[in-house]
Amino acid sequence: MGILIHKETKVITQGITGKAGSFHTEQGILYGSKYVGGVTPGKGGTTVFQLPVFDTVAEAKSKVDPDATLIFVPPPFAAEAILEAEEAGIALIVCITEGIPIKDMIEVSQVMRQSTTSRLIGPNCPGIITAGECKIGIMPGYIHKKGKVGVVSRSGTLTYEAVWQTTQLGLGQTTCVGIGGDPLNGTHFVDVLKLFEKDPQTEGILMIGEIGGNAEEQAAEWIATSCSKPVAAFIAGATAPAGKRMGHAGAIISGGQGTAAQKVAALKKAGVTVAATPGEMGLAMQAALGKK
Amino acid sequence: MNTHEYQAKEILLRYGVPVPKFGVAGNIEEVKKILADNKWKQAVVKIQVHAGGRGKAGGVKLSKTPEEILSYSEKLLGMKLVNNQTGPEGVVAHKILLTEAVDIHKEYYLGAIIDRNKAKAVMIASPEGGMEIEEVAAKYPEKILTLPIQLSGHMRSYHLIRLANFMGWRGELAKQGMALAQGLAQAFMDCDGSLLEINPLVETDEGRLWAVDAKLSIDDNALFRQKELAALYDSTQVSKNEAQANKHSLSYVSLSGNIGCMVNGAGLAMATMDAIHYYGGQPANFLDVGGSATTDIVKEGCKIILSDKQVQAILINIFGGIMDCAVIAQGVMDAAKELAIKVPLIVRLEGTNVENGKRLLKESGLAIISADSMDDAAKKTVASIKH
Repeated sequence: MGILIHKETKVITQGITGKAGSFHTEQGILYGSKYVGGVTPGKGGTTVFQLPVFDTVAEAKSKVDPDATLIFVPPPFAAEAILEAEEAGIALIVCITEGIPIKDMIEVSQVMRQSTTSRLIGPNCPGIITAGECKIGIMPGYIHKKGKVGVVSRSGTLTYEAVWQTTQLGLGQTTCVGIGGDPLNGTHFVDVLKLFEKDPQTEGILMIGEIGGNAEEQAAEWIATSCSKPVAAFIAGATAPAGKRMGHAGAIISGGQGTAAQKVAALKKAGVTVAATPGEMGLAMQAALGKK
Repeated sequence: MNTHEYQAKEILLRYGVPVPKFGVAGNIEEVKKILADNKWKQAVVKIQVHAGGRGKAGGVKLSKTPEEILSYSEKLLGMKLVNNQTGPEGVVAHKILLTEAVDIHKEYYLGAIIDRNKAKAVMIASPEGGMEIEEVAAKYPEKILTLPIQLSGHMRSYHLIRLANFMGWRGELAKQGMALAQGLAQAFMDCDGSLLEINPLVETDEGRLWAVDAKLSIDDNALFRQKELAALYDSTQVSKNEAQANKHSLSYVSLSGNIGCMVNGAGLAMATMDAIHYYGGQPANFLDVGGSATTDIVKEGCKIILSDKQVQAILINIFGGIMDCAVIAQGVMDAAKELAIKVPLIVRLEGTNVENGKRLLKESGLAIISADSMDDAAKKTVASIKH
């Protein structure tokens, strides 16, 4: 089970003929995911790993009817790739691309908020994986283990760290969702929390946030009123200086807002078990699961 | 990417925003030329640096005679500003701006930013100008008006009317203010701005509006299509290491501690700093080598860390997803060949091709302390300095 994707999910890759696109499609297939094709404008009619390549997403939709698409299109064209997938009615759009101009994302965000067919995960994210079933993204598959923790995170490698810790503790994961490190993204903490709340396999939720914006505070508010499952969290950037962009476009403390301390306080107030150090994310989850 | 005040003003002028006449000088000869051209008796002299708090630090001087203009210019050219915005290294003013002084009847604030929650560009306006907008927001939230800016840069006419009423502008003043706001909004969108602000926006005794100070930051992700603006990048306004890192597309931020960090991924890099701090150490930097680093880039990263004389230990924390651990190992070894690494090197590798990476480092003969986990690495690094 898990959320959003499972072993029957049919996936295509936009940018499948590129280096990253083909590599991660192959990794996804090796993990057991059901990739059914790909899109690269101008390469329609060819094949990659025996999968058909199409010129447009609409064509892919009519021929192989995918449930999800994985986007590896370079930043100048990525926003259009997302819009193309939405217009074709692909239910789940996962955009890995880092570096999309925020102005482009304003347009994408407006479209996605109105969309009745599609959800966007990312951009600037590692993707989504349901342990042992389906991998749509760039995360190393072997660190995951089928289990009971739902993971949601703004980070990439820090998510791997959290996943690895829960695997080593024997907790395992249901689904891990990287929502991305950009200031504007398609899916937020609260969206994923709601899905985990409804998923019977997910017994606990591990949430990894970072400085910048107030998505963690919004999540804390929702958790306080509506979440019945134990939640553990870690917020990265307690030692980050104000006013400096810490790698992710969205990771910046501006005007005294978006600090780790504010987020930790909000989460603690909502009853979330917050790990004091990143090395204890798994332990915090274990402790939270033990409490309820 | 930040720009200088004079650059922001040049852009605003193109959009019809009234800016008091100004000149920019990099040396005293240029100051004299500006004075000769303008026949100014009085002027404000301002250092041009990528940081706020200039006035408080004595970087803005009202000069009441031509002699004063010259003497202040001499003093401010090359002035180093050090405050909480610049970091301990400070930033040097290689240029100064000379501008006509305007009499101030009232000060306003007008700016544009991206609102994350609304996923829109918005204009922020306040009749309380001259202080930081965050301060206004905290003290007088009712004195802040937020209006949407259309993707095209257009401001809806009824939003402009609301703006004028909120600011208390009537008649001719309202007309000026609305045109100015439309110009600012258009400039913001056309430039792929992340921030554009006029603070203060001054109303003179004669009822004219002037952009007395301006600040423009550009979305780094859009620089590929903003060639003219990208050329305004000023490497003298960031730390030497940041400038060097920027050349190699590495994400680097200088900090004041003594533990150098090299990590893949921004979240993990921040978390590594946090772990170091948790175990009693102080990180010297944030460095994200990214997901697709080559051995050369890893080598450059090592060099940058080592060029910071404060660094007494280096922690390398890699969780390879796309990143191959063997590439990291090779980069570290290449760097060690070129530069004598005399400080303890603590390495934690996990993920793709981890066995190969560990083997390479083991066989390299380098004095490396290996760590099994993130906490283990942070503890060992902190301990390596204490002994």
